[in-house]
Amino acid sequence: MNKHTITHRQLFFLILQTQIGVGILSLPYSLFQKAKIDGWISLFIAGVIIQFSLLAIWKLCDRFPQKTLFDFQPKILGKNLGFIFNVIYTLHFLFISVLILILYNSIVSKWILFETPSWVIILIMASTGAYFITSSPREMARFYTIVTPLLLILLGFILYAYTGVHPLYILPIGEMGMRTILKSSQDAVVALLGFDVALVFLAYTEGERSKKIKVISYASLCVTILYGFVVLTTFIYFNPEEIKIVPEPVLYMLKAFSFSIIERTDLIFLSIWMISVATSFICYFFLAAKGVQKLFGLKNNKKSAPYLAIICTLIAVIPNDKLEVAAWNKYISFTSLLFSALFPILLLIIAVLRKKEDKGAASS
Amino acid sequence: MKKRWCCLPALFLLTGCWDTQALHKTKLITAGGFDYTKNGNVTITASIPQSIAPAAGGQTLINQAYSATGHTARQSRVLLDRKVSEQLDVSKNQIIIFGEDSAKKDIYQLLDVFYRDPKSALNAKIAVTKGSAKDVISNKYMETESGSTGIGEYLRDVIKSSEESATVTKETIQSVCPIMFDPGQDFTLPYIIPLKHTAKVDGVAVFHGEKMVGTITGPTSVLYVMLTGQHYTKAMSTTRKISSDKKVKLNNFTSFKVKKNKRILDVTVSATGQISVDLQLKTRVIIIEYPHNNLNTSGEVEKVEKELSATLTKESQKIVAKLQKMNADTFGIGRELMAFHYPFWKKLDWEKEYPKIPIHTKVDITVIGHGIIE
Repeated sequence: MNKHTITHRQLFFLILQTQIGVGILSLPYSLFQKAKIDGWISLFIAGVIIQFSLLAIWKLCDRFPQKTLFDFQPKILGKNLGFIFNVIYTLHFLFISVLILILYNSIVSKWILFETPSWVIILIMASTGAYFITSSPREMARFYTIVTPLLLILLGFILYAYTGVHPLYILPIGEMGMRTILKSSQDAVVALLGFDVALVFLAYTEGERSKKIKVISYASLCVTILYGFVVLTTFIYFNPEEIKIVPEPVLYMLKAFSFSIIERTDLIFLSIWMISVATSFICYFFLAAKGVQKLFGLKNNKKSAPYLAIICTLIAVIPNDKLEVAAWNKYISFTSLLFSALFPILLLIIAVLRKKEDKGAASS
Repeated sequence: MKKRWCCLPALFLLTGCWDTQALHKTKLITAGGFDYTKNGNVTITASIPQSIAPAAGGQTLINQAYSATGHTARQSRVLLDRKVSEQLDVSKNQIIIFGEDSAKKDIYQLLDVFYRDPKSALNAKIAVTKGSAKDVISNKYMETESGSTGIGEYLRDVIKSSEESATVTKETIQSVCPIMFDPGQDFTLPYIIPLKHTAKVDGVAVFHGEKMVGTITGPTSVLYVMLTGQHYTKAMSTTRKISSDKKVKLNNFTSFKVKKNKRILDVTVSATGQISVDLQLKTRVIIIEYPHNNLNTSGEVEKVEKELSATLTKESQKIVAKLQKMNADTFGIGRELMAFHYPFWKKLDWEKEYPKIPIHTKVDITVIGHGIIE
């Protein structure tokens, strides 16, 4: 068991890397659809909203130390209902993994690999995941820590956009009205998802209880700020009329830059972004494998990994045009909003009402 | 040991055999041009440089120009592709040129293929030429004939040097896009005049929305670029006549180089809904030519400053009047209104209002140096 624990710092990077994923490329576009140029306000509101979910997740895990979501759900909800919800959550995590693969494939085949069959692109990512989750959470967390500095490169590229921005484009602020902005923050919450992996990974984290909540909320804060920066930059780089027709504004913006050595900045960005996608995918895939392990009473999650990867690949190659991808995105985003952001709060309320907690909690 | 062998099949995944693009199987376009034919079809002209083995001291590059005509920009590209032996590739494109007639119709429709294609070079320069783009691209220039320069590089460098001397505003395919979409701002592109063995950048082609509506040419275009708020470029300089009483004709002129250019654009809306615009330039310059030779007293310097300010103020008023007549809001006055007076802007018909608003211009020249002689 000792090999499986992670430190606070590792938890921070784990959450950070899981939150940063596919969404970063199209976030400005999806925010713009509803809230127009006030989309960045929605994002920051979403950043505040998810802090409540985080608080619930932490409280929940705090009641059941060293127990994952799959362990304590039957305890809170009773054996049968708990089992059903374990199945639902396993499927949920599996479908998020699939969604990540779908979106990843749609962007890669649109921007770089035009001729490569999509099953190859998907399979490579899925098999990376299958290999990765055979390692312990600690090894995963170490990898996530190592790749985090790469984010600075992404940030550097985006900073370069400030050579050609029009700050007046985000004015006037708040024109869309508070209601639209709030409505749009729902989309922003979807982009910020990833903190829900804490439901499982908090169980592996050792150390002070109060410090854990600080760590996960700081990680979310960092991601919110990073996303906010990206969104603001694209909003002042593109004209509001232009964002409407550019689904991946971040990449499009980078495509226009070229340096004497690097001609196509967007390709470099994509290569680094792939790692961020992989980290998110691996985390959710790990969670799905953990769920399967619990459901079937397996000894560890290594056995199920290859089968899960094949299932993921098979599902992910189904949608083959843009509209189908959008439909999948819509439904899975909706369910993840439900299960990742809202349901933990409900679960906590039930746990408090039914006075369910691990007896060992008070002493530790 | 067994584990190590398992890695071997992974090597097959590393090759990426689907998306290879061999250079020897592609032809790189370095300059592209668009013209409309009389019946509304699009003619695309592309310059493709071909390297050849140099014959003792001879040229190493020959520029070939191909053109094809189709209903749309993309169709013409496909037709062009059939004419050349290998696959055409635009990823190394340096410049896009529009014939004046096609620019006057609409440039976005033609540019769409560049914005849509993930491989196209968005940082390529973009310009308008007098006459047809085909002539500019298939012309034989002194610099391209003798050396190893491709037409695309040559035309790009011509424009780059005009950017340095502030004859034109700095634009690329991507940088004009946000402004083209903006209802509150317009843009200008370099305006090329093809000569026999050279291409001359004569000033800017002024656009309104997606259509070209006129030009600002000659020395005036430098002042225009200064008015757009360009801070400083390496060779932002121009010559003006400041007196007419000197016996020797040359002595009536002075040339100056801009060291620091500051533009103040003040858009105010009065309570009664009157828009008024204050456009001011505060410019610090160095005198780089003054054949009259007596800049040693402060009085003389002040006189030059006053004369220059007066001349340029008058000239800037003419530029603004011209722009208003063309209905081209290149200074982004509409954008300022949109940003700071949004409710007012919503009720406004900017197309109709812009030519009528009063724009007060003022140029303030301060001489901060005059070279190494008095």
